[in-house]
Amino acid sequence: MRALIAVTVGLALAGAGVTATAQVGTPSGDASYEKAGEERAVNLCSTCHGPRGISTSPEFPILAAQRAGYLEAQIEAFRSKTREEKAAHDFMYGIAGNLNDPRVITGIAHYYASQPPAPGRPGDPAIVAKGKEFFDKGSPDRGIPPCASCHGANAEGLADFPRLAGQHAKYVLRQLEYIQGLVRKAPVMHGIVKDLTPDEMNAVAVFLQSK
Amino acid sequence: MFGRNSSKRAGVSVLALFATVAAIESANAVPSFARQTGQECPACHVSWPELTPYGRFFKLTGYTIGKNFVSSEGFNYVPMAAMAQASVTHLQNNSMIDPDTGDTVSVMQRQNSMVWSGGSLFFATKLGDYVGAFVQWTYDNLATVTNGTLGGHSAMDNTDIRAAYKYSPAGVAEPEWVFGLTLNNNPTVQDPWNSTPAWAYPYTTAPLAPTPAAATLIDGGLAQQVAGLGAYAWWQKTIYAEFSAYRTANVFSNFFRQGQPITTPGGVLEITNFNPYWRLAYSHDWGPNSIMVGTYGMTADVFPDNTNTNTPTDRFRDVAIDGQYQYITDLHTFTAQATYIWEKQSYNASFPITQETGSGYGAGPTPSNPTDTLKTFKIKGSYYYERKYGATLALFQTRGSADEGLYGTTPDGNPNTPNSSGYIAELDWLPIQNLRVLLQYTGYNKFNGLSTNIDGNGRNARDNNTLFFDVWVAF
Repeated sequence: MRALIAVTVGLALAGAGVTATAQVGTPSGDASYEKAGEERAVNLCSTCHGPRGISTSPEFPILAAQRAGYLEAQIEAFRSKTREEKAAHDFMYGIAGNLNDPRVITGIAHYYASQPPAPGRPGDPAIVAKGKEFFDKGSPDRGIPPCASCHGANAEGLADFPRLAGQHAKYVLRQLEYIQGLVRKAPVMHGIVKDLTPDEMNAVAVFLQSK
Repeated sequence: MFGRNSSKRAGVSVLALFATVAAIESANAVPSFARQTGQECPACHVSWPELTPYGRFFKLTGYTIGKNFVSSEGFNYVPMAAMAQASVTHLQNNSMIDPDTGDTVSVMQRQNSMVWSGGSLFFATKLGDYVGAFVQWTYDNLATVTNGTLGGHSAMDNTDIRAAYKYSPAGVAEPEWVFGLTLNNNPTVQDPWNSTPAWAYPYTTAPLAPTPAAATLIDGGLAQQVAGLGAYAWWQKTIYAEFSAYRTANVFSNFFRQGQPITTPGGVLEITNFNPYWRLAYSHDWGPNSIMVGTYGMTADVFPDNTNTNTPTDRFRDVAIDGQYQYITDLHTFTAQATYIWEKQSYNASFPITQETGSGYGAGPTPSNPTDTLKTFKIKGSYYYERKYGATLALFQTRGSADEGLYGTTPDGNPNTPNSSGYIAELDWLPIQNLRVLLQYTGYNKFNGLSTNIDGNGRNARDNNTLFFDVWVAF
């Protein structure tokens, strides 16, 4: 079973085309594009995603301390309309569609990646404990790998796999449902989460919000 | 496998499918701001025209998010949009006694008939990085013409042209200040909250049904008759302050009241050249919640006779408080708005002339009191499921001074009041976001001062209760 998990995780990493050495939050582009990215984030993205990427409404994900590569990939997914959930369609196709310069997109990603993470919000201890158990260990009997193997031991994200710690539970739960239902196309994640029960997904989401 | 007929059927099916997809695509081509931003209606509207927090940001930043309709890349989108309504109205009792002839006559035309109420054209778009416009031109298919038959008439509707600048000093996390200018034709049309009159509930009503006569001046009394220039500041998306000044839309500002009669007695109100409007609001968003409490008002000096500006003026001072609460998630939204408007009417011009001659200036008011008050309270709550299925309940009440000159006498001979009160219950269905089907019931407890025998011939307030079915499309 461990071999299976290792293979799954390996496939996941390969599928995402990431390298474990990717750095987050390190401005690497031209300073003017970094500044342009920050300007967009401050003057536009903050309207829904909150100041420094910490949104108050669970309808909009927290972006603070998110992995830069993941953010760039998602903006590209909105631009190419390959994320098909309703919120993406209603809100993000338009916003991302108007970001025509990939260097500015990188600047936005760097801005959010370099922000301090959102503090965790405590949840029901029993649910949090159940979610942590699942996050740390997965479900070996059912061939489900630990979430931590891709998303980091503290859910801080790994390479281009997203940070989940501190994220709104409602947002995480909804994304899991979208991935499970193939509304959001993430083949590797779909394979991992397709058999999760609603209770398991809720527990993981509540745990992640508490981190 | 497919014979000739089945191929034909398949071809027809493909065509039908294509037509369906094309229709859906077309239906999704929502008005021009949506084309400008690339976003859908729910980004800015809970259910149009009610704005979300993002919609308020879009408005206060001058309608400038998104693309110019023409750029170096060419023509990006059509900056125009259109809206139309068709409806059926049922008045609870559509018969009344004509006081002059004693005959039984209809209160309202087109009872129980499907009517096309009219429609609007919008020029609504970003005009540059700092400037945007919302211009509405409305054709009313049911405007009453002089001989009493219904005819069409078109005129300028709500218009708001604005410029805005976001000030975000280094190191801030969101705009520290938004500064803006607005040029508009209806006090409160520039306001981003839906508790102020111009964009308050009800968003549409039965076009031909009787409605209470009295309303404060700021509650539509100057709409599309004035031109106002204002400046506003929004600090940390928390404190909003605005100061504007209005005057009659004439000479260089004719555009703002185009189509409204200005030389006809009783037409466009003639006000002095400087009538201040102010607004202060505090708002706070947390989780999926958003709250606002605020105050607004204006002072207007009105010439009693709109065709004669060589007279003294009457003064209307409106002071209002308002509030709004919104809970917005993808599945459930609950929103509530309330406002209380207090108006002091000082008939500095009309009262003396009425006392002296028994009539006012021109078609102006003939008050029996030197001063009157008029107070309006409105509150509404709406719930929407998936932004598709909605229910709204609203209460309204207008109370004011008894004034025989303005409101006549009651059947027992006492001076009448402008008092009206009642409720509105509404069900909405938005199968797609730019199509609204609604069923609205307006019930009156009191109508123009009275509950029973409101016309001296036995008609009661509840006889004006109105059931209204409306199909409203915007594209």
